[in-house]
Amino acid sequence: MNGLLDGKVALITGAGSGQGRAASVVFAEHGARVVVADMDEDGAAETVQLVDAAGSKAAGVTVDVSRRPDNDRMVDFALDAFGTIDVLYNNAAIQMSGRVVECTEEQWDITIATNLSAIFWACRAAMPSLLEGDGGSIINTASVLGLIGSEGYAAYGPAKAGLVALTRQIATEYGPKVRANVIAPGSIDTPRFRKVTAAMADGDAFLEGLLGNIPLHRLGTAEDVSRVALFLASDLSAYTSGAVIPVDGGLAAYR
Amino acid sequence: MSTEKRLDGRSAIVTGGGSGLGECISHRLADQGAVVAVADVDEPAAQLVAAAIVKSGGEAEPMTVDVTQEGEVAAMVDSVVERTGGIDVLVCSAAIEVRASLGDTTDEDWQRVLDVNLKGPFLCLKHALPVMARGGRGSAILMGSVLGAIGSPGYAAYCASKGALVNLAKQAAIEHAPDQVRVNVVSPSASETGLFIRVAESTSDPEAVKAMVAERTPMGRLATAADVCDAVLYLASDESAYVTGTVVPLDGGMAARRT
Repeated sequence: MNGLLDGKVALITGAGSGQGRAASVVFAEHGARVVVADMDEDGAAETVQLVDAAGSKAAGVTVDVSRRPDNDRMVDFALDAFGTIDVLYNNAAIQMSGRVVECTEEQWDITIATNLSAIFWACRAAMPSLLEGDGGSIINTASVLGLIGSEGYAAYGPAKAGLVALTRQIATEYGPKVRANVIAPGSIDTPRFRKVTAAMADGDAFLEGLLGNIPLHRLGTAEDVSRVALFLASDLSAYTSGAVIPVDGGLAAYR
Repeated sequence: MSTEKRLDGRSAIVTGGGSGLGECISHRLADQGAVVAVADVDEPAAQLVAAAIVKSGGEAEPMTVDVTQEGEVAAMVDSVVERTGGIDVLVCSAAIEVRASLGDTTDEDWQRVLDVNLKGPFLCLKHALPVMARGGRGSAILMGSVLGAIGSPGYAAYCASKGALVNLAKQAAIEHAPDQVRVNVVSPSASETGLFIRVAESTSDPEAVKAMVAERTPMGRLATAADVCDAVLYLASDESAYVTGTVVPLDGGMAARRT
């Protein structure tokens, strides 16, 4: 199946590396023009090249999504570059760990701003364009940690759970024209994930224990998540809205 | 049935205790023997409720607290500990509701709703949980909403804040389960005493709005203050000693007919 996103424009945040980059390439292979938004200018530029190499067009924009004006600027940039936004994929996020009693006000504020408010700002700014024509698709990246209680993610878990509720709210509010869905990834094998386990004294044992809790017994890949994002971006999911789709190897079912 | 009070001598804090559901909860906990700190950002409101409790034979103390300010929350906790020796029950019922679609929600409203409804409970838990843990028992009850579980047009910020709150409760519940400290959520639909009434009364025909919401509820009526207070009392008391990290819906069946 090819060309699932022919003629569409997708705005992807956090697209300068990892998951966002993988999705940019998959979307491009299916015909989408991609607006690559990231804090890292060089990373965004590299992704733009990869999209070009995949045979589509891209434009890179440097933004810090935790700042409201940057979201407005990002949407304006996308409209200037390609005239419309059909798919808004809010993928950028930060992850800090810490128990409720240890979480500082600063950690709380930046986590809520980046992982929850930023998506509100981006959706609000992009909504007029998403509502045009045949309508649009919003894809928000939550986390399995927004679905289940877990130790040590004081601000991160609530932000992701709030994002799930916000997405359902958007689905009910803008239903006739705009679909909004959530991807809830579990443990994905990204450079950042490897960095975290490498920094652990018992990284190997941690990984072993983690795999034991995942029914599919492997870490997820950026491609695993990208294929679900492609489904939600395309008309394959034309009747799916307000849904939460775990991409977690079965972890949430097991817990 | 025993006449022994279910919260005899327990120390309780109720945020948003100066009005609405928080006021009813403050009275109910005091009726059952709790020493209640009636905390509210509205100083005269907190004073009136505390005075009414004392007049009817209960023990209460008013406190003026903006739950979005960490310094004020910490001071509230310190003051209650100094006066009563600990904290057994924390009810976070301070909340605001803004009725607006995503497109119409202003930056200020978004931030204010997240600060009062989500950051407030976070700060209260952060400072009260260590006290409860030291005491070897405690129950925190967060006021959620059916709108945390289902989407509803016109409540962008409110839905997000209440959805997030459930996960905050689960995190805190797991982190403090070994301390025998419990954290749960009560999740009412529109009640006759809560924020909904203020929204209804701001419309041209409040009775019609109330009737419409009641009609959409499988049980055909709004939640009463007693419905909510009964659930809070259950979660505050030892009757729920093995219950933590849960959400108790008080919605007349509303959530049941959704996924």
